[in-house]
Amino acid sequence: MAIKARAGWLKLDSFSSCKVILFLILISIHLCELNAWSPSAMHTNNWAILVCTSRFWFNYRHMANTLSLYRTVKRLGIPDDRIILMLADDMACNARNKYPAQVFNNENHRLNLYGDNVEVDYRGYEVTVENFLRVLTGRHETAVPRSKRLLSDEGSHILLYMTGHGGDEFLKFQDSEELQSHDLADAVKQMKQKRRFKELLIMVDTCQAATLFSQLHSPGVLAIGSSMKGENSYSHHLDSDVGVSVVDRFTFYTLAFFERLNMYNNASLSSLFNSYNPSLLMSTAYYRTDLYKRPLDKVPVTDFFGSVMETIHTDSAYRGFSVKGTDKAEIKAPLNLKASQAERRALSAYHQDQISDFNKEVCSFHCIWSTLHKTVVEKIEDADTFVNYGLVVIIPLVAASTWLWR
Amino acid sequence: MKPRMMAGSSGDTKNPKIKPRPIVRIGIFLISHSIVVSLLCFAAGIVALILLPLFAKNTYISENALMPGSANSMLSSQDVKEANKLVKDIIGLKLSSEEARIEIPRLIAQHMADAGSEVYYHKFHPQMSQFYPLHFFSGSPNSGNIKENHSCVSHAINTVGIIRAPRGDGKEAIVLVTPYNSEKVELGEALSLALAYSIFSLLTRVTWLAKDVIWLAADARYGEYASVTAWLRDYHIPQFSALEKLDADICFESGYPHEQNENQIRTDVISRAGTMAAGLVFKVVDKHKETDKDTLSIYAEASNGQMPNLDLINIVNYLAVHRQGLRVKVEKLYFLLDSVFLKIVGDVLETIGKVARSLNARWEFGIPVADYIDGAATLASSMYHQALGVPTGSHGAFRDYQVDAITLEISPKVSLNNEVRILEFLLRGGRLIEGTIRSVNNLLEKFHQSFFLYFLTSPSKFVSVGVYMIAFGLLVVPLPIIAASLYCDANVLDSHCIKEQQKSGPASTNEAGIAFQSWRWLHAAKVVLVIHLWGAIVSLLPYLMYQFPEMTPTTSMLSWGLLSIASLLFLHQILGSPYSCVTVNQSPNREWAVLKSMMIAAAGIGLGLMSIINFATAQIGALLIVPMCLMVHPLKHVYRAGRLRTLAVTACNISLGFIGFPPAAFLFLKAYSEGLGSVSAGDFWNWVESLWAWNSATYLYLGLIHLPCWLLFMYVLLHPC
Repeated sequence: MAIKARAGWLKLDSFSSCKVILFLILISIHLCELNAWSPSAMHTNNWAILVCTSRFWFNYRHMANTLSLYRTVKRLGIPDDRIILMLADDMACNARNKYPAQVFNNENHRLNLYGDNVEVDYRGYEVTVENFLRVLTGRHETAVPRSKRLLSDEGSHILLYMTGHGGDEFLKFQDSEELQSHDLADAVKQMKQKRRFKELLIMVDTCQAATLFSQLHSPGVLAIGSSMKGENSYSHHLDSDVGVSVVDRFTFYTLAFFERLNMYNNASLSSLFNSYNPSLLMSTAYYRTDLYKRPLDKVPVTDFFGSVMETIHTDSAYRGFSVKGTDKAEIKAPLNLKASQAERRALSAYHQDQISDFNKEVCSFHCIWSTLHKTVVEKIEDADTFVNYGLVVIIPLVAASTWLWR
Repeated sequence: MKPRMMAGSSGDTKNPKIKPRPIVRIGIFLISHSIVVSLLCFAAGIVALILLPLFAKNTYISENALMPGSANSMLSSQDVKEANKLVKDIIGLKLSSEEARIEIPRLIAQHMADAGSEVYYHKFHPQMSQFYPLHFFSGSPNSGNIKENHSCVSHAINTVGIIRAPRGDGKEAIVLVTPYNSEKVELGEALSLALAYSIFSLLTRVTWLAKDVIWLAADARYGEYASVTAWLRDYHIPQFSALEKLDADICFESGYPHEQNENQIRTDVISRAGTMAAGLVFKVVDKHKETDKDTLSIYAEASNGQMPNLDLINIVNYLAVHRQGLRVKVEKLYFLLDSVFLKIVGDVLETIGKVARSLNARWEFGIPVADYIDGAATLASSMYHQALGVPTGSHGAFRDYQVDAITLEISPKVSLNNEVRILEFLLRGGRLIEGTIRSVNNLLEKFHQSFFLYFLTSPSKFVSVGVYMIAFGLLVVPLPIIAASLYCDANVLDSHCIKEQQKSGPASTNEAGIAFQSWRWLHAAKVVLVIHLWGAIVSLLPYLMYQFPEMTPTTSMLSWGLLSIASLLFLHQILGSPYSCVTVNQSPNREWAVLKSMMIAAAGIGLGLMSIINFATAQIGALLIVPMCLMVHPLKHVYRAGRLRTLAVTACNISLGFIGFPPAAFLFLKAYSEGLGSVSAGDFWNWVESLWAWNSATYLYLGLIHLPCWLLFMYVLLHPC
């Protein structure tokens, strides 16, 4: 939108009017700010980063956890190119594995998690704190392929799942490094500033997972961990055929929750969070919501674990999406998504309120147009219209100013 | 004793205002109260030693990767039935010893090959027990250079099978060893071979192997240790010289079992797997002693008090107790179980524990009397076997190559005469070993996580180095203090004498006298040095006596003693008698004190060095040496004190002089534990022979530290003051 305004300014440049320039600059600044300030960005895409931070045969369960989550989010609709999977990946082909090239998360061995299409993005010794932070913040070296990057934008909902061995405010990476809670908070803050996400759900299954969230303070972040400070997270059961524990309790019950769902389900985040039973978990699941504004019982889990299901019809390739557009656009979604649509409408109304609120504060210099402006702003429903109106207003202004100079 | 003037001797220097540093003051304080301090420390050391069973901790599996018992056993009754067939085959051979020697390896090799593994024969010569004075700590001496004329019959043949891990990297291996006597196979040996076969044939089929598995059927006709150590040496030291190969090939035709399928079983090459992660020696012992459960005895001590990593014992113990329901035993000194002293101590400790718990419920340090006695007997055995430095089984050969290994001796609860019972027994034992292998298979690195320095007080309890070091430290602390205090006393006394001399008349040689004062310890040091030199000569004498191989132990012992005395006299002839007072100037009644302080210093240094080499030896040695060092007093000098005191000191000294003499102490202990009848003078020779046969550092300790210390003790005791 800012670009459009600048284009308008270029058109008008031939008139070479100082005031016009001044005014236009003001307007463009106004629009830019409008754009930056308001979370006008719509939830448009979903990403998932799944990290298994441990290696070695006896940590089989961590890889099984991660692969299970991978399977779940894929099943719920996040495409493979939007999943960054970081795995030591030394289980399936481990010589100790009784079932070569297979990984199970249950002793019944019904489901092979290591099927045909597991795309591991960061494998083996690539799973480092450095690479993890690079993925989050998007500061890659130029040679890193797009498939290994988190190409999210301000409309992205990101699920960040981590499992491994942790402690008080840290998470071990493959027995050689640690990710500290500061590092995580710092990375998230950078992401926020770079507008790499709209909402972020961090889910951690380690011992003392809650401590990893203590430094977070970026808005839009929701965090859930398997255990409180001082608690351990335990494995769920041992597969005595393979000879190792195959899944952790927290992840097991998370998966159990999701197994009941399909991608059109409306189960809310709060129902997920309430499904954790401390006595079954043998630890207390902790969630941090103070940075997250939306009520949890209104947010479907598919907002993070699934993918945006709307197909947005646009008139031309150029126009892109807009708040109005989504409302007007023809939505090809199944019927049972209606509730969330309604909610989204409410959301866009909320955005508009914010816009008008903002505009009330503008106009100390151009008092003459203030009333006009107000009415215009109140009437407008999207930025494009606003720009159009602006251009129309400018024409008499320019005419008047040229006339005055003569 | 006389009041000490230590503070004066160092304090009244030119500048009395400057206070010495605190550490110096502490030193001065300790030295000036040396008697009290050393008594306290020594008593505390003894008490700490007695309390060790109380401080034993439960063992725990420290390495996460091991995960013992997390996998179901795959050994089926079918495997066991196959194995039982092997038992019948071996027992049913009914061959002469000459045929059996060839036939049993052939049978085993056939089974190994049929299971689908690589097989080869390893031929070796028996080794003479020889005394190599310079080969201590160098592992087994290399016999390649001194091959004697062995007849082809004297070869023993180990049969070795290797399973390559199907998806492993082939860099690590687990070794199973089953010793058997090829000349006369007993049921127990046949069972252990069958046990190994059942596991081996199972392991050729499993998909989870990450390490290669080697099965060594060791021909133990020359002792199981000899066969294992010969194989290990050839495994680790590749022989490249053509000469040795030629030598090996001389008996090629007659030495090896003949095979129809020669191409499968190799005889000329030692094929290798990776580095060894662990070695498991297992034996079945048919003891005919009825117990309520099958019993597993664990033997762990290797040469010079080296122990395998505690985790290895832990996993075997865990699997045996919690998975297979065996009773696990480690060695203990059984005669200590009836000890009255231990019972009293145990009672006292139990009472104290109860009282403490009644005062505060959180204080839990008392243990029941039975536990205490049992723990103490096991601890004593553990300490004794470590101190002896002789391995308790063929697992000791592995330790020379830094491989963790233990011997598992499984004995059935009833005699194995019916087949069902044998099958059940094999299944249980096999599952235990399979579980252990699977656990070790999970290991990612060498065993390193758990303890290497520990004493066991029961199969599931141990005393770690951090705890038992305290007792030794307390025992040894008095030595430097007493040595310093004696030396200072002697000096102070002399300076007094000189001052008095100065008062009485102007001495012309004053300066020289003082200069001489500060060098007077040289004479005592020379005596100590000569005695230690003598100790070294005595410990080398057996080499000389090995040149006359026809001697009986008793004559050897006697000639050793005579030669030792002769060499002592000879040394004194050359280097001067220990009692030769050098000048009149020196106060003679203090000369023994300087000698004693030198002796204590040498003993302290010796103990300290020994504690690094073999801690248990140093600990037991300290129990003997430290009281000797503290108590020794010239008999003549003592008579000047009161009567009761004289009697006590004399009795103490004489009994210490008796106990401190190694042969006397050994024979005394033997008589105590086995009865008087079994004792003869040759026993000590045999015992010492076993020490150097096993390259035990305890022998060096006895020769270089203990014996000189004892002789110096006698010198001081008989000092003509």
